[in-house]
Amino acid sequence: MTTTLEQTKTAAIPQGGGLARRLNMLTAMVGGGLVAWLFWFLAHHFLDPTSRTYSDEVAVSLTIGWIIGFWLGIGAFIAPLRWVTGRDNTRADDLYLAGQGQGTSRYWKFTTDHKVVGVQYIVMTMVLLGAGGILAMAIRTELIVPGNHFVNQQVYNGFIAVHGMLMILALIVAVAGPWGNFVVPIMCGARDMAFPRLNALSLWTLVGAAALLLTTLAVGSLTMGWVVLEPIADQAGIGMDFFAMAIIVFTVSTTVAGVNIICTVMTMRTKGMSLARLPIFVWGAIIAAALGLYAFPFFSLVEAQTLVDRTFSTSFFVASGGGAGWLQANLFWLMGHPEVYVILLPAVGALFEISSVMARKPVFSYRTAVAAMTGLAGLSILVWAHHMFTTGWAPTLGGPFMLTTELISIPTGLFFLVLIGTLWRGNIWMKLPTIWMFGFIANFIIAGVTGIYLSDIPLDDQLHGTMFVTAHFHYVFVGSVLFGAVSALAFWFPKVTGRFLNEFLGRISFWLVFIGVQVTFLAMFVSGLKGMPRRYSSYAIIFEHSNFITTIGAYIIMAGMLVLLGAVITSWNKGEPAGPNPWHANSLEWMVPTPVPLENFDVLPVITEDPYNYGEELVRS
Amino acid sequence: MSTSTNKNSYKGLYWIWAALTVVGILIGLYAPAWLMPRSMSNNMHLTVLTMVVFSVAAAPVAAGVYATALFALRHWAHKGDDVPAPGPQVRENAVVVTTWLVVSTVLTVFLLIWGLGALAVDNGSNGKNPLVVDVTGQQWVWSFSYPGTHVQSNELYLPVNREVEFRVTSVDVTHGFWIANMGIQVDANVGTITTIHTTPDKLGTFNIRCTQFCGLNHAFMVTEGHVLTSQQFTSWLASQPQRA
Ligand code: HEM
Ligand SMILES: [Cu+2]
Ligand SMILES: [Cu+2]
Repeated sequence: MTTTLEQTKTAAIPQGGGLARRLNMLTAMVGGGLVAWLFWFLAHHFLDPTSRTYSDEVAVSLTIGWIIGFWLGIGAFIAPLRWVTGRDNTRADDLYLAGQGQGTSRYWKFTTDHKVVGVQYIVMTMVLLGAGGILAMAIRTELIVPGNHFVNQQVYNGFIAVHGMLMILALIVAVAGPWGNFVVPIMCGARDMAFPRLNALSLWTLVGAAALLLTTLAVGSLTMGWVVLEPIADQAGIGMDFFAMAIIVFTVSTTVAGVNIICTVMTMRTKGMSLARLPIFVWGAIIAAALGLYAFPFFSLVEAQTLVDRTFSTSFFVASGGGAGWLQANLFWLMGHPEVYVILLPAVGALFEISSVMARKPVFSYRTAVAAMTGLAGLSILVWAHHMFTTGWAPTLGGPFMLTTELISIPTGLFFLVLIGTLWRGNIWMKLPTIWMFGFIANFIIAGVTGIYLSDIPLDDQLHGTMFVTAHFHYVFVGSVLFGAVSALAFWFPKVTGRFLNEFLGRISFWLVFIGVQVTFLAMFVSGLKGMPRRYSSYAIIFEHSNFITTIGAYIIMAGMLVLLGAVITSWNKGEPAGPNPWHANSLEWMVPTPVPLENFDVLPVITEDPYNYGEELVRS
Repeated sequence: MSTSTNKNSYKGLYWIWAALTVVGILIGLYAPAWLMPRSMSNNMHLTVLTMVVFSVAAAPVAAGVYATALFALRHWAHKGDDVPAPGPQVRENAVVVTTWLVVSTVLTVFLLIWGLGALAVDNGSNGKNPLVVDVTGQQWVWSFSYPGTHVQSNELYLPVNREVEFRVTSVDVTHGFWIANMGIQVDANVGTITTIHTTPDKLGTFNIRCTQFCGLNHAFMVTEGHVLTSQQFTSWLASQPQRA
């Protein structure tokens, strides 16, 4: 047993592993390529080339081949196959899979250690944000002056679809991926996730999905927006098939990850870690995961229906065959609205955690916090039709959906109460995580207030489909979720690397991004109010100034994000050393050494109180 | 109580709050009418009014959060590089939580009642012999026809002060029929007719833009509309070629 407790870097590489010793991301890509080629070859030769749907059939076959080959090549099937054939993994095999003694090479493999997976998720988030960010810059450059021809309209339309989906995927994993994996098991007092191999599977499945999504840009012709609007998606080229498959594969990844995180928290908590003593971030992570388990099946379902419409000429969404675009919209938003809270809740949970540690005070009204997050998750499954107020679908349901949507502002308001209550009269430690948290508070107010305008049908009849909506949800995603994610990164960075994220660069980045967000999206509200619809590749002269300002703001955000990237890269190996508990926090992840040893704990701790006692100063009121 | 002597004096907080609330209310009162297109119908008057009311109602809440955040930065930020001492270990405050819940619920209910009322007015028809216009979207043009007249046009002409009923449909993909000056919007769906009402009450010209992504030239699916006096409208109708 003692070998398992040695630090990963110094321990010897175990004997086990078998075939897995030879596999890594490279073999996964090669495997994916080969099987994709095989599937393409078979489909190309044996399907009927005169069929109207021939090219889509070939494209879908190829993408299925890609993901199967990718899984084979990374070694996802080795352990299950061994289990089926009665030769289960030995302890040495498991230790090998956990990455013991393998240095940085373990980051490129099917490694099961939850901390490795957490770091891989950090990198994946940055890759997705980076790719989506480049597209955002291209979009804003096209829109810098009216009638610009930076990219052609066809390409532009592809950019808005892929930008949107890349960013959605990036933000779904931005907090829950890195920290749900890296810190949640330690916070619970567990040695790893409940299903370590599924954990690696979820990460590598995400990589496979991301690759498919990026390929869509090369295959092109994506005239459907990120929401895969029907019936127009039926007119899109084979890029659409890649797009839909990417989403389906992605939902496999999130489902596996969600089940894993819930099971970990439900079954692996150490002695004394009652639900009421869980760090609040754990609540945010599992409520989001549970909501995802409800929402994402709609996602794969609606994309699968789009695919069978395109390959087998079913007509779920095609009016001429008795289908309806409204069906697509309903299914999409049944997923889509809960999904925005899958994105938001982990960030909010992390900020509750951070506000408490940084203000040196307990989370204000822990139960309110849990109730608000749960209530929000519950409500969020009942509001989807606010995305369809102007479609003409079921006008009589307008009132009820307006009701449920406006009720959302009550739990949302409680978030502010908890955050402010926690900061109230604290001794607030103004470090990077705190600064980005204040940015969140400022931006999330604007996001919430504009959401209320949109939930009012007479107002939405004016604002729907305009840049106002785009600005609203960018205040949520960029202004709030991204700020929460950076705050969380700065907060837990020392646990991952043993070093602080560079405070100076981090502050420069904060100011650039914060100012950039206001410039970009306040001007975007103006474009929308003045009457500019969204998803425009060109616009009338009256929208000139506000668009120019928005583009400049977007460049400022990009500059800030690049500074942040620079801070991450330079701090990773060279940052100021931080020690195991730089913030003097009480939750378990800070009680273990840094770097965290394989299997985390020497002896599993016994918990006697929640992590929020910072001292005994008495309350004066 | 090491950091700051006026820790228990919240006067500053009230002042910031009051000042920000005033700023918020001023923005709420003036920005919508200033930024939004000229109002040309009953629906748009209501839209602008709703925007104003919601902004004014939101101003004190948003200002409260901003004021507290600023106040916290000013008075509760720990100075120095050492670890701050523990703050007051307050975990619950039933009065604060309850008050917050009650206030936010009351506000929400107010917004909801306003919204439902406005919705009833907004969607309603006054039932007095509306002018019917058939609107058809098609990649990437709008066309309008006036039932009972055989007139078809690519620009929209409407008489002032008479209710219009738009019957909207599409022949290819979904489009969004939106008159920004009149505060009305509805999708043009294939195989279905959707209906909206409005009563133009100002003379002049306006734009009709497509709000639902419809492919390559979505950004160019724009046309003009004109509100005429009823005599002008009648003579315009009469001057049009009669297409079958
Ligand atoms: C008080 C809270 C909020 C309310 C009342 C609200 C309301 C709305 C409404 C009514 C729409 C539809 C607008 C339209 O298309 O016409 C909308 C759009 C959207 N909201 Fe919110 N929202 C709130 C907060 C949030 C949050 C927290 C998120 C994300 C975490 C979010 C993300 C989005 C997105 C992504 C869209 C647009 C999707 C699209 O059309 O592409 N909203 N919101
Ligand atoms: Cu929504
Ligand atoms: Cu359009």
